[in-house]
Amino acid sequence: MPGFEYVQAEDVPGAVAIVSRDPGASFLAGGTTLLDLMLKDGVIAPGRVVDIGRLPLRGITRRDDFLLVGTLTTMEELAAYPTVAERAPFVRDALLAGASTQLRNMATIGGNLLQRTRCRYFRDLAVAACNKRTPGSGCAAVTGPARMHAILGASEHCIALHASDLCVPLVALDAVVYIQGVGGQRTVPLTDFYVLPSDRPEVENVLEHGELVTQVEIPLLPAGARSGYLKVRDRASYEFALTSAAAALMIEEGTIAMARLALGGVGTIPWRAREAEAILEGKPANDQTFRAAADAAIRDAFTVPGTAFKVELAKRTIARVLQTVAGLRS
Amino acid sequence: MRALSAPTVLGEPIDRVDGPLKVTGAAPYPSDIAYPDLVHAVLVQSTIGAGTMTAIHAEAAEAASGVLAVITYQNAPALAPAPMTGLGPSLPLPFRDNRVFHHGQHVAIVVAQTQEQAVAAARLLEIDYVQEAAVLGLDNPRAEVLHNPWQADLRRGDPAAALASAEVVVDETYTIAAETNNPLGLFATVASWEGDRLTVHDSTQWPVMERQTLATVFDIPESAVRVLSPYLGGGFGAGLRVYPHVILTALAARVVGRPVKLVLARPQMFTSVGHRPETQQRMKLGALQDGRLVAIDHGCTSALGIEGTNFGRVTVVTPPSYDCPNVATHDHQVRLNIPNPGYMRGPGKTEGNFALESALDELSYKLRIDPIELRLRNFAHVHPQSGLPWSSNALQECYRVGAERFGWSKRSPEIGSMREGHWLIGYGMAGVTFELYQPPCEVRVSIHRDGSAYVRSAATDIGTGTYTIAAQLAAELLGLEVGQVHVEIGDSDLPTAPQSGGSGLATSLGGAIVDAAGNLLRAFLKTVADDDRSPLQGMTAEGVAVTNGRIAAIEDSSVGETYFDILERHKLDELSAGGEYNPSAGAPGIAGPAAFAARFAEVHIDPELGLLRIARFVTVVDGGRILNAKTARSQIIGATVMGIGMTLLEETVIDSATGRIANATFGDYLIPVNADVPVLDVVFVGKPDELSPVGSKGLGEIGTVGVSAAIANAVYHATGRRIRTLPITIDKLL
Repeated sequence: MPGFEYVQAEDVPGAVAIVSRDPGASFLAGGTTLLDLMLKDGVIAPGRVVDIGRLPLRGITRRDDFLLVGTLTTMEELAAYPTVAERAPFVRDALLAGASTQLRNMATIGGNLLQRTRCRYFRDLAVAACNKRTPGSGCAAVTGPARMHAILGASEHCIALHASDLCVPLVALDAVVYIQGVGGQRTVPLTDFYVLPSDRPEVENVLEHGELVTQVEIPLLPAGARSGYLKVRDRASYEFALTSAAAALMIEEGTIAMARLALGGVGTIPWRAREAEAILEGKPANDQTFRAAADAAIRDAFTVPGTAFKVELAKRTIARVLQTVAGLRS
Repeated sequence: MRALSAPTVLGEPIDRVDGPLKVTGAAPYPSDIAYPDLVHAVLVQSTIGAGTMTAIHAEAAEAASGVLAVITYQNAPALAPAPMTGLGPSLPLPFRDNRVFHHGQHVAIVVAQTQEQAVAAARLLEIDYVQEAAVLGLDNPRAEVLHNPWQADLRRGDPAAALASAEVVVDETYTIAAETNNPLGLFATVASWEGDRLTVHDSTQWPVMERQTLATVFDIPESAVRVLSPYLGGGFGAGLRVYPHVILTALAARVVGRPVKLVLARPQMFTSVGHRPETQQRMKLGALQDGRLVAIDHGCTSALGIEGTNFGRVTVVTPPSYDCPNVATHDHQVRLNIPNPGYMRGPGKTEGNFALESALDELSYKLRIDPIELRLRNFAHVHPQSGLPWSSNALQECYRVGAERFGWSKRSPEIGSMREGHWLIGYGMAGVTFELYQPPCEVRVSIHRDGSAYVRSAATDIGTGTYTIAAQLAAELLGLEVGQVHVEIGDSDLPTAPQSGGSGLATSLGGAIVDAAGNLLRAFLKTVADDDRSPLQGMTAEGVAVTNGRIAAIEDSSVGETYFDILERHKLDELSAGGEYNPSAGAPGIAGPAAFAARFAEVHIDPELGLLRIARFVTVVDGGRILNAKTARSQIIGATVMGIGMTLLEETVIDSATGRIANATFGDYLIPVNADVPVLDVVFVGKPDELSPVGSKGLGEIGTVGVSAAIANAVYHATGRRIRTLPITIDKLL
């Protein structure tokens, strides 16, 4: 692999300053994505790696109805935080389903949000056509075998999946990303943080080069709400989702008073299903409502032969998680 | 000599003797080998599936930091033609010309001071190609088809007429995806030349064959080549041939004049060391209403590279399996622009069994006969091809014991009739007949004055327990403690041994040890034949027994002396003796040996989400004598996990347009994890086989065989869906 300069950041402004002025620089946190892409796959080659591991961005602060999670908090730490289990259990479910213990102990929350796609066409230098890696080169995944790929927000330009489990309940909760740039701090709702690939798949989110995610604000569910995360995959563990769904429901006397629904395994970005939420709210909590919501959630799918089955599987996944959260099924 | 009729050490479930070395990291795997002036190589592989290289731009790579050589077909020293081997012709040599036959073909090897420098330089190499349309897909009309490639197609009776007159017929096609062996240990080669002498540390399962190949292609005597493979991180058949990267590493070492290490990257493992080829099988069964088979016609088409061979008979499972008078088999291979396939645990037999045992299950539903009862009605009391009695066959006991342990009687025969909550439950089973492959083997056994004994052979232990069972057997035969016996293997300089493959090594090496131990005892007795001071003077091997390092008369155990006494008195450091096992085609008038098994699966299926989970798996094996109950069980459970992978998860996805393998990483190519594997119940039945000196019948592969059919049959019982295409992924169950 090509050589690179390793820099240990001393403070947040310094880290942001170094990366901002060097187009070839990259932040390093837990390393579970960056090192794979650099060392094993060789598809990115930053000339300078700025290690933010010692910055004071680790830890969780409880506020009345939300958590402030430092970007360097590990997946394991967030999963183990008692309030998460009490007030946002589907976040915990998604974290535990999202990685092995070893990875959860290394991978950070900020890094999870910014993880790159697992698309093997993106990660293999032997593939020439990848709009995400080489803008304008085309998309080999659309014509080649593809299974672990997106069907929503996808097009002939790119069907790369955003494979995060954690982000699925986070977009359902309207989590907020705190961003530090050279000019100051800003916040962006997670639902606005990701950018659909359209014809520029190389642009994945709203961050400017050198901007650093410092915290994530995770709203807690209202008391009385129930939530769940269902991840469907061939292998029983240690696999990305074929389909997944995060749902939170408040049911009052059999009627859905509040619904939050987001999908994983199907979107080029973590997929908030607002049309489905609109169908759920105010309706009786029954199988018919749930199936109608599922149908509404999966519209305008862009499929290739290997992903066509995901349309029905995603709908069944949604219906099942809603049934489970509503207490209609185990 | 101690008889094996009442062993005290052999068969005991002792821990692996090499276990502490491995868990402490002290066992030297090929990738651990270092030399003071070692340099590192990285392979560059083609990015097209078919065509030619028109230009190689190596200047940037050659100029890169630390680079010692960039070797391609344009500047590679010539190699001599590779030899015929025990498994057929060698693979075609690398770097012959500019032609590309598959995506991922080695086109250059870059040598640099460090591995990182080699990787960086390899990425700077640019190659211009003229691409041709790759020939891909078993049904591709442009593909060359080899009919009856091994001249082994078989016919008994008149299967066509019997099928036409059968009362019930099953005629179905079964497809199994290509799979990749994927031993966890990345294959590594370290090659070092001293003048015209070559030493190679390699992840090989067959050092002697590798020595022969390297000596031939480098045109040096075999005595000038030493191949070492004392430890390797799994093989599963990937180390049974000398693949091009091994030759290229030795070639690179010769070019740069320094020892060279090459470690394949995981994606390169998918194109460099063979794989289980994709197969499509047509299985026709004809039966009478009472369940008796009257005809089996078994055809198979499997994938092959554009050049090269692969000995992988699939239909071979069918003729010996059932008492059926009319049988025909046909194998075909289709040449495609894919990496040449190879041997993956139970090659051919695993695939063939899936079709045969699935079809029998289909027949059982058509006839409404219990699947076990159907197999019992067709049990082969004698070998159905030769008509000779089996040397041993406890298959019926496998069925009976398995059914009891599994609780087969609780199975409600109706489809979809068993459930637990929203999970459908299915029970399925399969039978296995696995004929033993017995290659010749040599060994040398010695006893030293310090009380230690040595067993030496060029065999390998690919993680299966060869070290342990060899020590146990020698200890048993020589009347020693296991800890006194040192096993030295994995070195081509040692007595010639066959591959760790085909389930044959334990039996062949065991046979050689039996012979050598007898010879060694006779050597001790010969030493004292004229020794007036020896109480053993004049005794023969038949008249003595050995216990606790002491040879004594059978009739009066007070008459005897120790190995030590003899060596001491005769001022000998050691006595040693060679032994060999060279089986003929079997004893006249007896068929076998063959191992047998019955496999039972309980699956739970969530029909809405297509989730398939294996709840229980029971295996009963007749493997003849069990040489170590623990390593034998480990063989079966490990192989069962591979079978689960083949059935549920594993598929080497080849892009039908480019020939590129689309999932050549462990993130994309799924193998089972613990959560996919239930408690695996394994029990052994049967008795030592008389056609094998140690009585064993081979356990290395039988554990992969029958898993797929048992699971697929259980899926049918649960859901009514007959899945004839592996792997059984979620999309197939929606």
